[in-house]
Amino acid sequence: MTRLLSLLGGIAGFYRGNTAGIVGSTLVALILAMCLAAPALTGYDPDKRVARGHQPPSAEHVMGTTRAGKDIWSQALYGGRVSLMVAFAAATVTSIIALAVGVSSGYFGGRTDEIMMAVTNVMLVFPQLPLLIILAAFLGNVGPFIIALILGLTSWPWGARVMRSQTLAIRKKEFITAAEIMGEAKWRIIVIEIMPNLISLAAGMFVGTALYAIGAQAGLEFLGLGDPTVTSWGTMLYWAQSSAAFFVGAWWDFIVPGTFIALVGGGLALINISIDQISNPKLKTGSYLRTWRKLNAEVEAKRQEA
Amino acid sequence: MAFILRRLVFYCVAIFVAISFNFVLPRLMPGDPVAAMFAAAGGKMPPETIAAYKEMLGFVDAPLWQQYLQYLQSVVTFDLGPSIMLFPTPVTEVLSNTLPWTVFLAGIATILSILIGCFIGLYASYNRGGFVDRFMPVFWQFIASMPQAVTALMIFFIFALTLSWFPLGFGFDPDLEPGLRPGFLANVAYHAVLPLVTLMLSMIATWVFTMRNAMVNVLGEDYIAMAKAKGLSSRRIMSHYAARNAILPVVTAVSMALGFAVAGQVFIETVFNYPGIGQLIIKAVAARDYPLMQACFLLIVICVLVANFIADILYVWLDPRLRK
Repeated sequence: MTRLLSLLGGIAGFYRGNTAGIVGSTLVALILAMCLAAPALTGYDPDKRVARGHQPPSAEHVMGTTRAGKDIWSQALYGGRVSLMVAFAAATVTSIIALAVGVSSGYFGGRTDEIMMAVTNVMLVFPQLPLLIILAAFLGNVGPFIIALILGLTSWPWGARVMRSQTLAIRKKEFITAAEIMGEAKWRIIVIEIMPNLISLAAGMFVGTALYAIGAQAGLEFLGLGDPTVTSWGTMLYWAQSSAAFFVGAWWDFIVPGTFIALVGGGLALINISIDQISNPKLKTGSYLRTWRKLNAEVEAKRQEA
Repeated sequence: MAFILRRLVFYCVAIFVAISFNFVLPRLMPGDPVAAMFAAAGGKMPPETIAAYKEMLGFVDAPLWQQYLQYLQSVVTFDLGPSIMLFPTPVTEVLSNTLPWTVFLAGIATILSILIGCFIGLYASYNRGGFVDRFMPVFWQFIASMPQAVTALMIFFIFALTLSWFPLGFGFDPDLEPGLRPGFLANVAYHAVLPLVTLMLSMIATWVFTMRNAMVNVLGEDYIAMAKAKGLSSRRIMSHYAARNAILPVVTAVSMALGFAVAGQVFIETVFNYPGIGQLIIKAVAARDYPLMQACFLLIVICVLVANFIADILYVWLDPRLRK
């Protein structure tokens, strides 16, 4: 119970005076909730022809229809489920690999570190997008699951480097030496002593990867490398492009999925900025700076009372 | 010097890995890529071409290591065979027609966004907590977080299609004869405006953040306090003391940015129908032109590695501590 309370307190503390964090989280949560509540918000099946093709927004079809006569509002909501799922799955895979590689490389050092970092650095120097395109092209129209997997398996190197350098810094602290002298098992030192100190970094990495994955997935699908029969924001863009929606004046066909992607991307970016500013107080900007000073003053006042 | 040599060895290893990746990938896939190519060409491929492909991709009746050596040889001698899509133009010729456009876009966009971004970052750190410092970094980050495909589509829709301020595609007017004449160059510049702006919108944020954060760190150093104590003007402190040291992280970021710029052009060139390597790789994928696709990938990797190497040399030149 006290643990839960302190966790809630921590979350409340994160959002205190943190406008970017509040706006970003609200945006992402709102869109996520809308996608989850899709059946309540629309009566149309996203994959069925329900009207004439390329109808402009109207009372019946609030965001118009595609060339194939499918309801865009319904497609955006149901497709959002797929897009968000891919983003979060890819971010989870990346975070796990980056944590495992970074922490073991940083903690064990020596040969392990050398080999792991050589692999990481080579992977880091490869431009990711062309690599994804080649992989997707050879695998042939890749579904959302495979996209999440290849995104997750290729985007960990940067996170692994960050985790490694942080682990190196923590390793030299007294409490790690104390744990070693007490004879704690290595896995216990890594999981119980080191990892909790990496949580804010890992959270930042998770959000950053999700942001990247939203864009990369939409991009791959837009280029026609995904599975066009699965409805997602990326395949919506693909169908809009291949039905020449812009040239026949059906702007809503592009604008709706584009706006959804942009809003989620922007929201995730705002969360990321606020995590950055909290984990590195030196970089605080204006309003954060003020909140930070206020919090410091409060802590100081409490200390003087005691 | 040892630093440069070590980096050089690292890049050679990286190129080697990329070539090996290209060699392994077709062999991991189910089915025979040569048969797939034959099918993709509509069965209109003469037997000599099929044989040439097998040889080029190393699919000869020989042990695997011999196939690998053969593939290495064909890459090193730039003998990448003819393209399927643009048969019988050699892959190397197709690439040399498109690479300059991509390097042109990536180079100009990187230089301009460094200048603009660093200036905003510098100004933000100079007026810490002011309007620019509070809103500009967040604003640019918000813009940059939109996927390039989406930004490119929106810009294309508004400025090229609806307002007709800029052309709908191509590197230059197809009616014009290419040449180093002012009229032609102006036409190239006119066609490059929208792709450049889109690319820059996604890059500026990096520089605002890099420069600002580097400045914030440097401004906390003792020698800045010393300079202030000496009574130097804040303009002089900024330009002669802080910015010079803050520029180092910016230089390291250049390499990553150039790679990002070259790779990120895939979407921009596709949307704006620009004749660069990013559009070429997508066309090659759509036409199942595996030799061209793999050559594009290899070339992009090499571009990125060269950019990294140049950044390394610049870094050594700027930071005497590395010159041991």
